[in-house]
Amino acid sequence: MPENKETILSVRNLKTHFSTGIGKNKLVVKAVDGISFDIYKGEVFGLVGESGCGKTTTGRTIIKLYTPTDGEVYFKGKRVTAGSDSIKQQLKDTKRLSRDKISELKAEMKAKLEKTSEAEKVKDSYTNKIDKIKQTTSKELQELRAEISRRKHESLKDYKRKDTKDLMKKMQMIFQDPIASLNPRMTVKEIIAEGLYIAGEKDDKVINDKVNDVLDTVGLLPEHANRYPHEFSGGQRQRIGVARALIVSPEFIIADEPISALDVSIQAQVINLLNDLRDEFGLTILFIAHDLSVVQYFSDRIAVMYYGNLVEVAPTQDLFKNPLHPYTKSLLSAVPVPDPNFEKSRQRITYDPSVHNYDENPPELHEITKGHFILANDEELKAHKKELKK
Amino acid sequence: MAQEQAKLKVEDLTISFRTNQGMVRAVRGVDFNLAKGETLAIVGESGSGKSVTSKSIMGILAGNSVIDKGQIIYENQDLTKIPEEDFHKLRGDKIGMIFQDPMSSLNPIMRIGKQITEGMIINGKHLKNRKKALKQETHQRYINAKRNKKAIKKDYRSSIKEAKKAGDESKVTTLKSELKNKLTKQKEEIRECRKAYVQKRKEARKTVKNEWKAKKAEIAQKIQDVRARLKTTEERDRKQELHDEISTLKEQKNRYKKVTKKQANERAVEVMGEVGIPDPERRLRQYPFQFSGGMRQRIVIAIALTSNPDLLICDEPTTALDVTIQSQILELIKRLKKERDLTVIFITHDLGVVANMADRIAVMYAGRIVEIGTVEDIFYNPQHPYTWALLSSVPDIDSADRLMAIPGTPPNMLFPPEGDAFAERNEYAMEIDFEKQPPFFKVSDSHFAATWLLHEDAPKVEMPEILRHRLDKMKSTSKEVKTNAGK
Repeated sequence: MPENKETILSVRNLKTHFSTGIGKNKLVVKAVDGISFDIYKGEVFGLVGESGCGKTTTGRTIIKLYTPTDGEVYFKGKRVTAGSDSIKQQLKDTKRLSRDKISELKAEMKAKLEKTSEAEKVKDSYTNKIDKIKQTTSKELQELRAEISRRKHESLKDYKRKDTKDLMKKMQMIFQDPIASLNPRMTVKEIIAEGLYIAGEKDDKVINDKVNDVLDTVGLLPEHANRYPHEFSGGQRQRIGVARALIVSPEFIIADEPISALDVSIQAQVINLLNDLRDEFGLTILFIAHDLSVVQYFSDRIAVMYYGNLVEVAPTQDLFKNPLHPYTKSLLSAVPVPDPNFEKSRQRITYDPSVHNYDENPPELHEITKGHFILANDEELKAHKKELKK
Repeated sequence: MAQEQAKLKVEDLTISFRTNQGMVRAVRGVDFNLAKGETLAIVGESGSGKSVTSKSIMGILAGNSVIDKGQIIYENQDLTKIPEEDFHKLRGDKIGMIFQDPMSSLNPIMRIGKQITEGMIINGKHLKNRKKALKQETHQRYINAKRNKKAIKKDYRSSIKEAKKAGDESKVTTLKSELKNKLTKQKEEIRECRKAYVQKRKEARKTVKNEWKAKKAEIAQKIQDVRARLKTTEERDRKQELHDEISTLKEQKNRYKKVTKKQANERAVEVMGEVGIPDPERRLRQYPFQFSGGMRQRIVIAIALTSNPDLLICDEPTTALDVTIQSQILELIKRLKKERDLTVIFITHDLGVVANMADRIAVMYAGRIVEIGTVEDIFYNPQHPYTWALLSSVPDIDSADRLMAIPGTPPNMLFPPEGDAFAERNEYAMEIDFEKQPPFFKVSDSHFAATWLLHEDAPKVEMPEILRHRLDKMKSTSKEVKTNAGK
């Protein structure tokens, strides 16, 4: 990890909820429920967890394929997407608070009016107080409403503005399934060049040159450009997916399980390709996967996710040496290792979420050693610290 | 590869598929033996023929497949030759299979309970089965006699043809008369066999009918007794008890005839409990979409286990699953194997899983086994370059070196290569690799590899640096593990 860390992406309290049904049938799935992390320039940040824990949703929310329910995503210092649920809540709270205060004051006024003779004076002072509260509240509400509309614009309408477009071009995604994510009716050239067209490139010659260039970088030949996706093997298709992401020269790539649909020998090819690209272009990569051995090989830092929450974030070496959260431990103990003697003595640890007692003391993400964050409450934090000292 | 009391023997199995482009040679001569209670893992890339091999053992190859030659011997029967009718008795009953994708191998519009019990109910017609068992022997003899006739005809025809070609008239006539004699003899035998068979069939029908009648009468008598008692009693509780007794008697009667739904459901609940599905009675009434991936895979396993198979084929049972779920399923299969003394064929491309599960490993490439040996042989002393490549393309726990990827793609099996199929992607390939298929060279008693590198004239080649490094490390860690275990 580079020493002088420059944050390229930061995620603050991101929430993405999906809801189905209405009324009493309403069901809210909290796919991502309040996660925060930073990704530094030039690093590979691994995001692991079992299927259904929200890692893909996180990636897709960051690149604005989903609208977040709450929280913010900053890319290169500029906010690119944000949800406004918490602000709406704040709005409600302020309204209620001011209403309560006013009714309280009114009751007080009534009580005093009965006792005193100087009715006018008391009334005046109280109406003054009430007016003041109303004024400050309306000001606050205005601000909050403005913020909500700003966030809405950012996540929905702002993509047409040139500067946002340029910014979002720097963020690209590689999708999971190389068979389903390529349009079977488009040639490879069309697939790869689509991003350039959208970015406003019209010159055919430039496009051709760029496509050939990028095909060369990912290890395909220029004559492949006029073929269709079905003519390629799995590994080659995933290369096309990588090429499509690379053509607009991004700085940050979200790789959503790029190798889990591939064969073992082909997996190594794609990992090597990503590794080369990272060295060559200084790419920053958010690497989403469930195969821990691959993540460990490839990432600088790893975040472990469990049902919408981050439970542990740490540098790779640190995480594998000192896993602290019980879920991380169980995940690590489940990784099969190609070594029979080791396998025979392996003990799998099972994770039982009921070991935590979070009713009174809700957990927070604490930094336990430098760069090593863990989701725990105060009691657990003490236990973890003790464990580390051993 | 001689082994005592082999449960399953596959010899020179060759399978192709007819396609519009020509014959795809999916499996090109696979040999292996499987001892009772052993786990054999078949490892290879997709398209290497591992699934096709297992499907041929199960007898569920696609319609356009042709078994060119070879045999699969299971309990003294050649599975490639026995008719579909007889296969019903083996498939599911003796040989179970766990399929790859739990999402698509279950019927989405059928309740779980029905899917688990389906096989039991279909195969559970006891009277019919008993009839079949009684006449089985004579029937088999009758069929064999018929087959023999065909074989004799075929034999003589070809020799007559040859004689005709040679122009040997006298030989042709002698052969023809010989054929005639033999055929009449055979026909006589067939007639006798048929007679015996028809006789036996009648007898079987009668005995089964009588047995069934006796059972029915017995139970009817019992029911009558209970009914008589029912009339005399007045107490409510006692009455209810007697009613229950009648229904159990009826159930008993039905169970003599066939596997009843109730019985099948009881068995399903038992098996579901065994594979670790909580609250099986309720789960029985649910649909597949109400289950998670791991639970669905457990159901697929339960379906395979309902009829107590002794050979279990697992076709990539964990590829579609998460690491945590994967290790749960592997532990489950291991436990079941121990409890039921199963023989397992485990197909996968994940070497970590193999290290966990297997006793022996067969590495397949382009329709052939390239290396076969015990787990220790393959992991600690690999010999074939393809095995080297496979082992070193797995990312390691603490190496940061570049991974050794296998260049290129597997060969097109429409045009299988002449020599060693892996030669084109192999950096150690020699000239002979492109010309001639290497035979199996013996490394140790349990370990064989098909590579010319093991030939005595071949230049000594060291395995890749990464792999050797890794093996050394593995050896040291396993020593550590052993000493730790000793403590």
